[in-house]
Amino acid sequence: MENSIQVPTITIGQRKFNIFPLWVVFLLVGFLIGVEGMITVLRDGLSVTGLSNQVAWGLWIAIDLSAIALGGSAFVFGVIVYLLRIERFKRIGMLAVLLGFLGYSTAGMVLLFDLGQPFRFWHPIVYWQPHSLLWEITMCVVLYLSVLLAELLPIVLEHPLFHSHPILEKSKFLQLATDFLQKLSGWLHKAGPFLAVVGLTLSLLHQASLGATYGVLSGRGLWFSQSAPIIFVVSAVAGGTCLLFVTSIIVFRVMRPGLVQDKVLRELAQIAGYATLLCIYIRIWDWAVTNYYSFDLEVALQTELLNKVAPYATSFWIGQILFAVIPGIVLISAKRIKSIRVLALFALMPIVCTILTRWNYNLSGLIAQITYDPFTPTVILNNYSPTQTEWQVAIGVISYWLIAFSLAARFLPFKGEDHLHGPGHDAAAAD
Amino acid sequence: MSEKTNIPDQSQDNGKLSRRDFLLLSGTALGTAALRQVTKAPKSDRGASDNPEGKHRWGMIIDIDLCIGCNYCTYACQAVNNLTDEMRYNIVTTETTENGDEYFLSRPCMQCGSPPCVHVCPVEATYIRDDGIIAMDYDLCIGCRYCMIACPYDVRVFNWKDFSEDSPTVPLFGTPELPPRDRGVMEKCHFCSHRIDYGLERGLVPGVDAAATPACIVACPTGSRVFGDLNDPESPANRKLAVSDNPIRLRDELSTEPAVLYIPPRAKGG
Repeated sequence: MENSIQVPTITIGQRKFNIFPLWVVFLLVGFLIGVEGMITVLRDGLSVTGLSNQVAWGLWIAIDLSAIALGGSAFVFGVIVYLLRIERFKRIGMLAVLLGFLGYSTAGMVLLFDLGQPFRFWHPIVYWQPHSLLWEITMCVVLYLSVLLAELLPIVLEHPLFHSHPILEKSKFLQLATDFLQKLSGWLHKAGPFLAVVGLTLSLLHQASLGATYGVLSGRGLWFSQSAPIIFVVSAVAGGTCLLFVTSIIVFRVMRPGLVQDKVLRELAQIAGYATLLCIYIRIWDWAVTNYYSFDLEVALQTELLNKVAPYATSFWIGQILFAVIPGIVLISAKRIKSIRVLALFALMPIVCTILTRWNYNLSGLIAQITYDPFTPTVILNNYSPTQTEWQVAIGVISYWLIAFSLAARFLPFKGEDHLHGPGHDAAAAD
Repeated sequence: MSEKTNIPDQSQDNGKLSRRDFLLLSGTALGTAALRQVTKAPKSDRGASDNPEGKHRWGMIIDIDLCIGCNYCTYACQAVNNLTDEMRYNIVTTETTENGDEYFLSRPCMQCGSPPCVHVCPVEATYIRDDGIIAMDYDLCIGCRYCMIACPYDVRVFNWKDFSEDSPTVPLFGTPELPPRDRGVMEKCHFCSHRIDYGLERGLVPGVDAAATPACIVACPTGSRVFGDLNDPESPANRKLAVSDNPIRLRDELSTEPAVLYIPPRAKGG
């Protein structure tokens, strides 16, 4: 068919180069840099980070939150495809599942190194403390990752290697195995609506709880807010959908032309735009409420300081408001804008905005800390700058995300067809 | 008229719903309880003192006027718990009153009655003992540091580094009384609960007998810190409270109910 996968090339002089191998090697170098950092952390402990008793969560938690947020499209499109049964988004929904899985596995990976005792990562699953939001998040993330895996399996098994590769004809065992895998894939596909409901529940629970993780900390005036859970959910929908739009353009428009119509991509852009604008509405509302309630001495002290001290003031107005309002307006008018590349460029901005929101949320309450002086309470500013090892691990996990995404974009068909008895040797994909 | 006919219908509906709700709720509760039992893994020895049903509630009174900022409390604590120089369960800072007078604020763990750190711990590694002391189970702690972030008093300390030798405050301020902890777990002031347990087993009175009293109290050269059972009207802590004006608790507005009370500085110069 139809749609063979086209790999982006660059032309130097007369010759065309396939950039895919170079790109993967580049990412592997990034991943190795990360591995070196990960070994350092496991060997020397968290003393190699820039964290302190005052600023206990830093770059890695910001990455963890961002990765989970940017995987937010998986539950949104699970609902759109399986519950609302809007068929034209089926293939985009498959990509959303991939993004969800990558986001959550990245988060799990970076979180492992953020634990003081990484090899006790399984403790929350065995030693329950249901009052803790962090416990609930751990359980939800573990369960949701399993749901995502169940949703991802049929997408991976769609690869010709698992149903129509010539090598399968040489061994009976391989044939039996692939038959079973295809059956499994069929069952999982049938379970789609059920998985979508479970995924939606788990997602909403923990995306909101991630916000509530900060929202319940009454000792930290800046964080103690009821809007945090909503902001986390809505910004995950916005950022996640924008990322889905950008990646859809790469996977479908550039690499598989004709598989998803431009009209559908534009609709996706509109969904992303509306989600972005909704997020900004709630964000501004929250800003207004925080300032309104600044008659509370502690909150007033902290907001005053944070408004003064960059980068929070600037990053809020430029990074979180401007970077979302403009693309939001552009994306909702996607049908009127001819160039889909321009749309993609604008869709990058809310992604940055989502990451900035997580970074600021995580650090603001730690940087501005109230003292305990009962007579003249003040706010002190703590310092934090990530160390080289922290950046290394960050580069490593981001490289993992990109490698996995690139391999999937390069090799998986994303057609959503039943291959139990289907023919079709896709030579390009089988390579 | 229609309202009249509606009322019995509603109550009937309510009745049905509440029965169903009741069954649903009791089912859920039973299920949760059963699950809780299944998942409740045996935890390592939590070492609660000989203290059935909250007989004791250990507390500390710190008289700010008597504190001279010598930091002996901090050093004694470091020696007994064998802490590195940068790890401090007890922190002494210089603060100012509304009049601009400087004073020393010595800050151990407040051993809150409603502790934010215990509520947030995902594995129940930090817990409330029967005597109100907030203790740590170092074998359970995963080192996520959420408790440190939740603590409004900034008194939890993370074990960032491997540390095998003796604290620099040993032997001048005491000798180590507790086994070393693993790197990467959370630590905190525990009112020297090992001394309290040791003392109670031998009929000693914590707050009165030095061997059963937290190291910081014993080391304080001015008697600025007083320790005792807040449930016992005759304890040193309660006797100190009885003669003090307006004892205060830090960040009382958060309703954490600290067991550490401060006697505010009296105005200087009469």
